Amino acid sequence: MAATTVPTPFEVYRFDPSKDKAPRYDRFTLDLAPHTPVLTALLKIRSDSDPSLTLRYSCRSAICGSCAMVINSKSRLACQTQVGAELAKHGKIVIEPMRSQAVVRDLVVDQKPFWNRYRQIEPHLKTDPNDPMPVGKENPMTPEQVERFKETPRCIACAACYSACPAVEADPEFPGPMALAKLYRFVVDPRDKDTKNRLVRIQPEGLWLCLRCHLCTEACPKDVRPSERIRDLKELAIAAAGTSENGSRHAVGFKDNIAGAGVLNEFKLVRQTYGAMDLLRQVPQGVKIARKKPELLKKPHPIEGIEEVEAIYRALDPEGDR
Amino acid sequence: MRRHDVVVVGAGLAGQRAALAAIEAKCDVAIVSKLHPLRSHSGAAQGGINAAVGKEDSVDTHIYDTVKGSDYLGDQDAIEFFCREAGPTVIEMEHFGTIFSRAPDGSLARRPFGGAAFPRTIYAADRTGLALLQGLYERLGVETCTVYEEWDLTSVVVRDGRCQGIVAFDRRGGKFEEIAAKSVVLATGPAGRVYGRTTNAHTCTGDGIAAAYRAGAALKDMEFVQFHPTALLESSILITEGARGEGGILKNANGERFMVRYAPHVQDLASRDVVSRAIVTEVREGRGFPGSYVHLELMHLGKEKIESRLQEICDFCRTFAGVDPVTEPIPVMPAQHYMMGGIGTNIRGATNIPGLFAAGEAACVSIHGANRLGGNSLLETLVFGKQAGIAAAEYAAKSPLPEVLAADVDAEETRVGKMSSRTVGEEPQHLRVEMQATMDRKVGVFRRPDELSEALAEVRALKARYDHVRVVDTSRSYNLNLTDALETGNMLDLAEVIVAGAIPRTESRGAHSRIDFPKRDDANWMRHTLATRGRDGPILSYAPVAYTRWDPKERVY
Repeated sequence: MAATTVPTPFEVYRFDPSKDKAPRYDRFTLDLAPHTPVLTALLKIRSDSDPSLTLRYSCRSAICGSCAMVINSKSRLACQTQVGAELAKHGKIVIEPMRSQAVVRDLVVDQKPFWNRYRQIEPHLKTDPNDPMPVGKENPMTPEQVERFKETPRCIACAACYSACPAVEADPEFPGPMALAKLYRFVVDPRDKDTKNRLVRIQPEGLWLCLRCHLCTEACPKDVRPSERIRDLKELAIAAAGTSENGSRHAVGFKDNIAGAGVLNEFKLVRQTYGAMDLLRQVPQGVKIARKKPELLKKPHPIEGIEEVEAIYRALDPEGDR
Repeated sequence: MRRHDVVVVGAGLAGQRAALAAIEAKCDVAIVSKLHPLRSHSGAAQGGINAAVGKEDSVDTHIYDTVKGSDYLGDQDAIEFFCREAGPTVIEMEHFGTIFSRAPDGSLARRPFGGAAFPRTIYAADRTGLALLQGLYERLGVETCTVYEEWDLTSVVVRDGRCQGIVAFDRRGGKFEEIAAKSVVLATGPAGRVYGRTTNAHTCTGDGIAAAYRAGAALKDMEFVQFHPTALLESSILITEGARGEGGILKNANGERFMVRYAPHVQDLASRDVVSRAIVTEVREGRGFPGSYVHLELMHLGKEKIESRLQEICDFCRTFAGVDPVTEPIPVMPAQHYMMGGIGTNIRGATNIPGLFAAGEAACVSIHGANRLGGNSLLETLVFGKQAGIAAAEYAAKSPLPEVLAADVDAEETRVGKMSSRTVGEEPQHLRVEMQATMDRKVGVFRRPDELSEALAEVRALKARYDHVRVVDTSRSYNLNLTDALETGNMLDLAEVIVAGAIPRTESRGAHSRIDFPKRDDANWMRHTLATRGRDGPILSYAPVAYTRWDPKERVY
């Protein structure tokens, strides 16, 4: 099964704070078969060229979550990324540490903030003494109930999603995709008795800060699809706690606007999002808009073909009131 | 000053379960681990966890299957205790939050596994280890104990005839630290990386077993090394026995379902040692594919079953072998997978050193004897992890809190200082690769006396070279080169014990197959090997096997 090898150039981020003033990129060229995992290549560099290259790794089979890093600008597992495809696409393989986490040395980053986010969602079953678990036997759970977890039990906490997420980078309040996917896992667990509280609490704690860019879903090596679970959480949160937050009011207002006219009424949406009182704070922004683009503040006419929009809404939600 | 009632080394299932038990006994507990707990190798276990909870099944059948699977080297009293704990243990894990696969009626789903009379393996798709690890970690809660994360155990401190703590290297801080403890539980997992072809993680380097050995603990049955029949060809990534449990079959290059010849009754679901020997025999006799491997076929199971019950396996095959199991056979060969041996303990996890306990794959109770059945190792981590935690807490309750002595740390600093100050010397990675090549070639599925002797000489030569090992990396923080050196030293000690135990055992039992002694020899060898460290290598002695109800019989599957 010996495949032909190809010279494969690597540029590897190096930074040892105890010695280096600034990071640098070391170049290595290795003869590798195209299906060689990037992790194998990095370990080869360690054993043949430079034993001081520092990274985290363990299982080499995409189940321990240790070796997430940025490979040609994408956050992913080194053990699961093959050199051939990268070489074909980029002509070289650039290896960097994960983003939004401080570099400790070379490819090793400080994951404390990531784990703290995970802890923040209280990742353990919360039981109710008035509704105890069956003694000496399992809680029944149908295959359909297991289905509701979707792919969240596959999460290996590698933090690739956290590294890929622009909201994590921009907003220290955002729990990040992994923590929210984990929260979803507890929210849909029939054994957990704190569902409503969890959904109420997460709204002011950053649920609505997700940018819906789906980069987490693209980055996830286990197909957990965090952005889809965040979307599910939003729906469940509105159902459980109503529109108590700017984020949820914005979402509902948006839907309502489009349903009515097929186009946004910006003035109405701002009012729906912030409520009458908080609207006052938006006045300076409103004045600016009134000067530059007054048409944005007018009530729009329903678009041509609004019946089709209505049909879509009916199909999606036959019982919804419009 | 780092002092705790109980220090648990290793944060996989056995370690976490021990920690939980000690915390419940109101101890101040610390966990020391070279990895974040959720990255432990327990999470890589795929197939499932055995518990005889089915109506047609019984605890007695589970006991018998385990005794028979062990080729009568397992201690029957320990196995009885182990199998009785199985049901409650699995239920407890379900209550902790583990997400198991379910049968249509809502009960825990079960699948058939090798060497078991009934479908008794409870599972979570093909990621049971991950599901249990998450469930236990989330139940344990990180606030309940101190976690020294990314610390490498380097020695077990024994003073005045009892264990008083450990010394470990704090990777991030870049220094050795002593952690004093009234009692210590070693749950550091196996040393699979003694072999090159292994399903084990890179981090499975036997650090705890080696530290215990150096501290005077007796290692038990180390020559019994399990080779999993189905590892992916190049990477040796595990393809779960569950794949055959779900109906997968093995075929040779002639398209023949060869297991029919080796195990006429259960065929592909014979015990692991039996299937591994069959595959190696097929390849040796010229019926393997060019490149030396056989095929595992799943195609006939259909896309839906394969993708739902063997989801991770599908991903592994597609990513790591470029093979789609829905449409193509999977190229497999046996690879080192599990160590039946380890630090000798009793049912409560106690070793021969007072205050030192061990559990999980690092330990040997022994319930697996000469061959472990699939689905019994996850169960072992939880059953005996809990026992070790309870026993360590009881021991701590009647022991004084030891002092932290600078001398222990100084000794390690001196040892490592020599490695770092050498300007010429042996690169630890190179020694490791040579050791792995020796073990792969000469201490594998079938063992020849001449090759075993050569292997012992080669390992001893490597140990001599290890005295000149050199750490090139001069930074202290996250010095993986130093970790390499420490791990390689640990593995060389253990490789020597494995080979030294295999040479005198002139019989074939379970995973130990001698071509010059193809039969089991109960008259002379129904006994455990014990290895303690002597000046010139391991000193071997032997201990009787405990047996209660089951007289040795020939093993037929």
